[in-house]
Order: sequence, then C-alpha cells, then structure tokens
Amino acid sequence: SQTLAGGQTAELQSKVVPSKQILHSGNMEMEPETMETKSVTDYFSKLHMGSLVYSCTSKRKNK
Amino acid sequence: RMEASCLELALEGERLCKAGDCRAGVSFFEAAVQVGTEDLRTLSAIYSQLGNAYFYLHEYAKALEYHHHDLTLARTIGDLLGEAKASGNLGNTLKVLGNFEEAIVCCQRHLDISRELNDKVGEARALYNLGNVYHSKGKNVASAGTHDPGELPDDVKNALQKAAKYYEENLTIVTELGDRAAQGRAFGNLGNTHYLLGNFRSAVLAHEQRLLIAKEFGDKSAERRAYSNLGNAYIFLGEFETAAEYYRRTLQLARQLKDRAVEAQACYSLGNTYTLLQDYEKAIDYHLKHLVIAQELHDKIGEGRACWSLGNAYTALGNHDQAIHFAERHLEISREVGDRSGELTARLNLSDLQMVLGLSYSTNNSMMAESHAVENSLNGGRPRGRRYSMENMELMKLTPEKVPNWN
Repeated sequence: SQTLAGGQTAELQSKVVPSKQILHSGNMEMEPETMETKSVTDYFSKLHMGSLVYSCTSKRKNK
Repeated sequence: RMEASCLELALEGERLCKAGDCRAGVSFFEAAVQVGTEDLRTLSAIYSQLGNAYFYLHEYAKALEYHHHDLTLARTIGDLLGEAKASGNLGNTLKVLGNFEEAIVCCQRHLDISRELNDKVGEARALYNLGNVYHSKGKNVASAGTHDPGELPDDVKNALQKAAKYYEENLTIVTELGDRAAQGRAFGNLGNTHYLLGNFRSAVLAHEQRLLIAKEFGDKSAERRAYSNLGNAYIFLGEFETAAEYYRRTLQLARQLKDRAVEAQACYSLGNTYTLLQDYEKAIDYHLKHLVIAQELHDKIGEGRACWSLGNAYTALGNHDQAIHFAERHLEISREVGDRSGELTARLNLSDLQMVLGLSYSTNNSMMAESHAVENSLNGGRPRGRRYSMENMELMKLTPEKVPNWN
C-alpha cells in the first residue's frame, strides 16, 4: 500500500531516527493538518435556536 | 423513536471524540449509522466526524470512505459549505495516501467554494491544505527519485515552490484575520519548504516566527518543533554551534514532554552536530544516549544507526577496541534487519579497522575484496585512504535529501 510515511520507498524506517539521514542532522518536523469539522450538536442547537426564535416571534406576533 | 436513538448515539460519539477517545467515538458513530436517520444533514455530520476520527486513528482507507460518503451527501442536499468541508477533508486524506493529483483537485474545490461563499476562514484553510499537498508531493518525488545530490529535479522544485506560494497566500489572509495559531502553522511549514528548497536563511526566518508564536501560546510541542527545525537549518548554514544550541533546547523540551522517541532524535542530532564540530567525546556521549533509547523502544534500525555513528566516533578518537565492538554490532544488526548497504558499510569499516590494527582480516565478501583492490591501487594501499573518502561521503549526505546548495 502507498502511504506517505515511506510506504513507496523501500527505505528502512526507524522509530527513532528516520531513514536517509545517516549523519544528517535531524528530521523535519511538520505542523499538524487541519481538518474541517461538522457537528450534530451545532446543527441541532441551530435548529433548536431557530425554533425558539420562531416560537418567540410568533408568540409576540400573536400578542 | 429511531430518530432520537441515532441522534443520541451520534451525540455520545461527538462527546467521546472531543474528549480525545476517537476509538470509542467511532463505535458510537458507527452504531448511529446502523440505526440510520432520514435527516441527511445529521448523517453528513456523522460521516464527516467518522472520517476525521479514522484520520486521527491513522486508518486512512476508512477515513477516505467516510469523507467520500460525506461529499456525496453534501452534493445531494446542495449544501455548498458542507461540500467545501468534505472536499477539504477528502483532499487531506488523499494526500496522506500519496494520491497527490486527486488531493489537489479536492483542495482546489474547497478553495473555489470558499471564495464563492466569500468565506475567508475557509479560503485560508484551503490554501494551507493545498500548500501541504504540494509540499508532500515535492518531498515524495524527491525521495523516490535517483538523481544526484545537489540537483533538485524540476518537478520537485515546482511542487515546493507552489507549496511556498500557497503558504504565503494563506499567511496574508490569516494575518488579516489576526489568527495567530494559523500563522504559526503556516510559518512552520513554509520554513520546512524553504529548507527543502535549500533556502536555509529563509527557513530560519520562518521558523523564528513559528517559535515566537509557539511561545505566545505556551505551546511546548510547537516550540520544540521550531527548535529542531532551526537546528536543522543551521547545520546546512554551516553554523554548527548555533545548531547544537537549538538541539539542546529540543532535547530539554523532549524530556519535559516525556517523549522518548523525540528525545532519542535530539540526542542523535546532537551526536552528529558534535561530530561535525569534531568534539568526538560529546558526540559519543549523545550517541550512547540515543542507543539506550533505541534499545528501550526496540528500534533495531535506530540501534544500527547508533552503532554505526559510535563506531565512527571511536575511530576518530583512535579507540579501536570500542570502534570494532560497535562496527561488529552494526554488522549484526544490518544482517538482522536485512539492510544490505548497512551490511556492506559495516564490513568496510571492520576491514579498515582491522588494517589499522595490523590484523589480517578474512572475508568472504567478494564485493568488498574488489573495492579494496580498487582502493589500494588508487591510494597506494594506504589504510587511511578510505577514511578520507568516507568523510567526503558523509559531507555529501549532509545535504538534505537530494537538495542542492549548502547555503
């Protein structure tokens, strides 16, 4: 399988020191990925808010 | 009611993932999918979170599956923002799986929709993701190729330059938005891109910014990353004392954070830096520390590398007994892990050492005998001959993975 972490290259991987770096300084440290998030909670709180706003305004209108 | 049950399960999944227990979260989300719901927005949120949970669990095939479901669903219900998010997540997953071309298409879609919706935050995030895809693509091609060191093939250079361009565009927006955390991430990866391009001064400038922001946030992990990256860049600028100082800070933080693997890496970097400074006593000290942790973590490759480094350092000090001990250990480990080039190096080192000690060294490796014959004729049979050529080889390897110029 082809994973980024060296699946393609037949290099030996060390848990401690990455390959290809005999006497090389150190390994490059990347920043984390950012994933986009969706949430059931958000969706439902919005729905809830919506219906609350709706019921408030309709109550007001009814008055 | 069925609906409530699916929702309840999903809410529990969300709670667990937020608490950091993705594994348990996945079970609840999958149960929620089993129960099912007619509310497609809820289902989309469940798929998306399942995809992310599997992503964090490094199960990328599963992550791909669920982000793909989410994308299909978002399109079906005409949720443009939802489609943008799903595209971005799918892009990140494809990147990790090494499918860069499709990853680019997905991330570009994230970018296009965000611009269409005038969503600045989304636009910036898509630019960061695109930068990451091009960075990975460049790195991947660079490590797979068999070109001469010092020559960056055009496709690698193009990909890395595109990465830098996207990170810079991202930086413009997140600076406008005043998002310091996002700035920190962009500076870090921009620095690493400059490093691969061989622009070590620019790399230092970017990592210094990253460091500043990490300190602002009290983010020790990011601070440690910045020190380590700064150390690497200073090595290639030939400023070994400065590099050593940054690696020492890396080590200090790794110990604070109780990360043994990172601690080992820092020791290894320090060992190599002191080798470059020709302070072999200190080099040995750090390589031994690295060796102990590699053994503790059952990391055979790391252990072999430590033995190789120790053999060289003891040789430099003229301590041939220790040098032979570690060269033999290096040979053993290379055989154990099936590292052919390591095995050959170890054999050459051993035969060198035996020659220095004036011992006859019998070998059944014809390749080595051959290389010796060639070398002896070139060097007039001086045993020191290869030492010099080895040193040159080491300097060549100092250039970051197939990256040009020293400065």
